[in-house]
Amino acid sequence: MLKDITLGQFFPGDTIAHRLDPRTKLILVLLYIVALFQATGWVGYGLVLLATAVCMAASHISPKNIFKGLKPMLFIIALTALLNIFYTTGTPIVPGWIITWEGLERAVKMMLRITLLIAGTFLLTYTTSPMALTDGLELLMNPLKKLHVPVHEMTIMMSMALRFIPTLIEETDKIMSAQKARGADFENGNLIQRAQALLPILVPLFVSAFRRADELAVAMESRCYHGGEGRTRMKQLHMAQRDWVALVCGVLFLAAVIVLKRFGL
Amino acid sequence: MIEFQNVHFTYPDGKHETLCGVDLKIEEGSFVAVLGHNGSGKSTLAKHMNAILLPTEGRVLVDGIDTSDESRILEVRRRVGMVFQNPDNQIVANVVEEDVAFAPENLGVPSDEIRARVDAALKTVGMYEHRQHAPHLLSGGQKQRVAIAGVIAMQPEIIVLDEPTAMLDPQGRREVISTVTRLCREKGMTVVLITHHMEECVGADRLIIMSHGKIAADGTPGEVFSQVELMQREGLDVPETVRLCWDLNKEGFSLPLDTLDTQRCAEAIIG
Repeated sequence: MLKDITLGQFFPGDTIAHRLDPRTKLILVLLYIVALFQATGWVGYGLVLLATAVCMAASHISPKNIFKGLKPMLFIIALTALLNIFYTTGTPIVPGWIITWEGLERAVKMMLRITLLIAGTFLLTYTTSPMALTDGLELLMNPLKKLHVPVHEMTIMMSMALRFIPTLIEETDKIMSAQKARGADFENGNLIQRAQALLPILVPLFVSAFRRADELAVAMESRCYHGGEGRTRMKQLHMAQRDWVALVCGVLFLAAVIVLKRFGL
Repeated sequence: MIEFQNVHFTYPDGKHETLCGVDLKIEEGSFVAVLGHNGSGKSTLAKHMNAILLPTEGRVLVDGIDTSDESRILEVRRRVGMVFQNPDNQIVANVVEEDVAFAPENLGVPSDEIRARVDAALKTVGMYEHRQHAPHLLSGGQKQRVAIAGVIAMQPEIIVLDEPTAMLDPQGRREVISTVTRLCREKGMTVVLITHHMEECVGADRLIIMSHGKIAADGTPGEVFSQVELMQREGLDVPETVRLCWDLNKEGFSLPLDTLDTQRCAEAIIG
């Protein structure tokens, strides 16, 4: 079950999507999210769907991997859909029923919206190494340093968190096996009982995470880490022609979605 | 060169001194092994070498720089690279080469030079083919070699390894020890290896036994291991070949005790 978590996972590759500058990709994702929330009609949704499909094809990420990433979100998606079905007023499907055509339409759109939102952000993390991602983020937020926002600290925290996700997942698996071997039961019982069963996992996990953090800090200091000042990078980011082309495409795409919205499509 | 001058150290919450008056000089280009039991102070000793811990009394000099001089702490840490026990907790990046680049990046080395240093460091430890891999998918021995490369990329003069093999399987242990030995023999780097595995000390130039925060013995591995009674008192093993000669000596023979390998041992017994 824990192996299915693909959050923050990166699939190395050499496609156009991999080669784009992380800053470009971050801006594109922002444009994409704005477009997604601007889309109202079916045509608009169709366009966003098409854009997602094109990006997926360009990055050679199979839909299977995207769906694997969606799995943990299924519950939320289903809940949103259900709420929309039952709480939207309009023309009932069958006279006297609580389910309306409008509700059904909204439910489908909502599901589509959340799915696309996750798929879009996954495309970013699947094609961008966490280091590149945090580098891009740091550079994009650089102007905020003037306002004394601790940009470097924030991004290094993010990259460390991403670095330790696989390690901590592995550790959780180990602790769970150890608890199971001593008769712990994680599969049976109601929701509260199962949540309670997780407590003996969380406590050792937290303790070990703190110990790891401590050792990591010492190891970083030993390698001369002293904050962001005077730091250089091995891989310097360059905005190439393809980045500008991609950005123009992104802006055009957003404009198209907004225009479609104007026409109610 | 690292020099300890009457170093005492007590942990802030500790009742006893962890180091009680250590005087030690580590010569350039030598391979020094430090052996001792858990709680003998050997890890604490290591952490004094790059100013992670500062002595409560006495001082530690790295190439003449006092480690308690806060303004020169980066110089000390650049000179003394440190590799730790748990490979997972010292790798900072999701890609091998980016992890190796971490230290030179911190030091503000220009990009092209970082690239060159990273490639050279990865080749030295034999991990160049894995430069694009995710560290968590490597074996323990490989991770530890990446950690060593991460330190070499800093171009230190001394590399201190604090029980680098404690969490590894025999295969990984061999990989790490042979890498470290090569670093010293071929690249002329000073190596300080902290360990509790007796076998890993045999190839060193100098062996130091730590006990209760003090240096209990100091000499070549041959000299130290031949003090079998002292080693037994410290609860430490000696190589089986030394043990054999010692047992024979108890039966009335008079064999040398610096028989660290089978060849030497056979010669001593036959000759």
